[in-house]
Amino acid sequence: MNKALRNPLVFILFVIPALVLFLMFFIYPIFSSLYYSLTSWNGVSETVKYTGFDNYTKALGDERFWVSVKNNGWFILFSIFIQVPLIVFFSLLIANVKKLKGLYKTAVFMPSIMSTAVIGILWGFIYEPNIGLFNNILGLFGIEPVYWLSDERFAMLSILITNAWQWTGFYIVMVLAAILAIPSELEEAAAIDGATGFQRATRITLPLIVPIISVVIMLSIAGAMKAADIVIVMTKGGPAGSTEVMATYMIKYAITNFKYGYGNTIAVLIFVFTLVVTVLYQLLFARRSERIEY
Amino acid sequence: MIRTVKKGLPHVVLLGYLCVILFPFLFVLFSSVKKDNNSIALNPFGIPQELVWNNYVEAWVNAKISTYFFNSLYISILASVVSILIASMFAFAVTRMRHGKWNTILFSLMLLGMLIPNNALMLPIYIIVSKLHILDTHLALIIPYIANAIPFTAIILAAFMRSLPSEIEEAAVMDGLKAPGIFAKIIVPLTVPAMVTVFIVNFLGNWNEFLLANYFLKDDELRTLPVGMVQFRDQYQMNYAQMSAGIVYSVLPVVVIYAILQEKIIEGVTAGSVKG
Repeated sequence: MNKALRNPLVFILFVIPALVLFLMFFIYPIFSSLYYSLTSWNGVSETVKYTGFDNYTKALGDERFWVSVKNNGWFILFSIFIQVPLIVFFSLLIANVKKLKGLYKTAVFMPSIMSTAVIGILWGFIYEPNIGLFNNILGLFGIEPVYWLSDERFAMLSILITNAWQWTGFYIVMVLAAILAIPSELEEAAAIDGATGFQRATRITLPLIVPIISVVIMLSIAGAMKAADIVIVMTKGGPAGSTEVMATYMIKYAITNFKYGYGNTIAVLIFVFTLVVTVLYQLLFARRSERIEY
Repeated sequence: MIRTVKKGLPHVVLLGYLCVILFPFLFVLFSSVKKDNNSIALNPFGIPQELVWNNYVEAWVNAKISTYFFNSLYISILASVVSILIASMFAFAVTRMRHGKWNTILFSLMLLGMLIPNNALMLPIYIIVSKLHILDTHLALIIPYIANAIPFTAIILAAFMRSLPSEIEEAAVMDGLKAPGIFAKIIVPLTVPAMVTVFIVNFLGNWNEFLLANYFLKDDELRTLPVGMVQFRDQYQMNYAQMSAGIVYSVLPVVVIYAILQEKIIEGVTAGSVKG
């Protein structure tokens, strides 16, 4: 019986296509990035000039690079301190209502399956200074038009709000699933002991969903480090480079300005920073959130 | 009295949130049937008195929605199907064939792939694609899309295949089937539910992909919907009514699919992210 399933030739033929694509598009690019990050290659010419760590010193000394790092930081801080509390709050609300649960879940999830590019266009219209939705609403209270996307003070915030609008519902559905998986006996026992709804939420449910909140934060960090298309679509990094993030900074140099080597340096730095932030988070906060068994 | 308030309050808050989600869509929908920017400015929130359907006609022609739409559709479907084919062969080999440590090593490799932030790999992929001389053709998107989806697809399908009882292929071997036959005639039909889920996830990912589509294609005829929409926005920036019609075109198919398949989509997309 085992002979048919031990045929090494068939085994090799079955794994080869996936393996080749994997090596070509995941493993090779990592080494290629590392290599070219040490060169001043422009992406086209025949000769590649080795420049050591020049690109790295240049990047780390470039004020604009640090502006983009800071903006990635804003993405992370905004998700942890604004989105996560909202996510927990709304998931608890949805979990505890009896009617319309399905409707809420379906509706809040919807923006997350849409193209970020189209969401960016849509929100660009909402932020439009003269006829956009926001300034119309503010106008009702007699507030002067705000130039959301072209004013350095508001541009980053506007992007963060759009990003939160798109992704909050996605995480709500994840947290909601975790809440609904908690056995109802726990809540019932607490209710018999006389705990109010608020007490049950904060003392029973909340501690039990800490692991999934931790996952949400990890995913937010990963998402924040990858953010690019929303910035490209809404502001193209402007005004005056104030909304540039690391990925758009990388693209700007490598593809638009033919500094391929330097672009790869940024790619490596994105890797390193993502790793550092993730490890820091794991060490500082995530240790307590081990798996919960009921 | 207090009881009703207590029961009603969460709904009030949640309906408020619902409005925040839905109102931007309504705003665009209403704007798409208004005459021009001026009539949007005069009556921003309401339905206009006379509905101007012309925006939809104009947007369809000016934005070349039909071209972009079919480009997106065929690229997304083709890439998703091929990923599933390749990844299911891989998953079959590492879960159902007996090659001891190789199974574990190869499977762990795919897990590693889930951890790699793929945005940062964009530049080397750009070079690979240009060395293959497929830059500015649809293959420049299709091949990276296929490759990009393989780790996730292989992991989900492998998890599913592992749960199938081994008696199935014992019986098949008795009947004289070889490994490829077992794969095609027994395992694939049983794995269809999981394949549908990963197909939806991969399809949505490809349909919405922006970065590669934006930088790897220059020819206008080849563009996909998200890129085409951004370009349309940049060209007709001043005509918001027409732009709204364009947004409706690109959002509507996703909303319709979502309305029909919401359970599958929610399940698939969230599973994908947790595994990652």
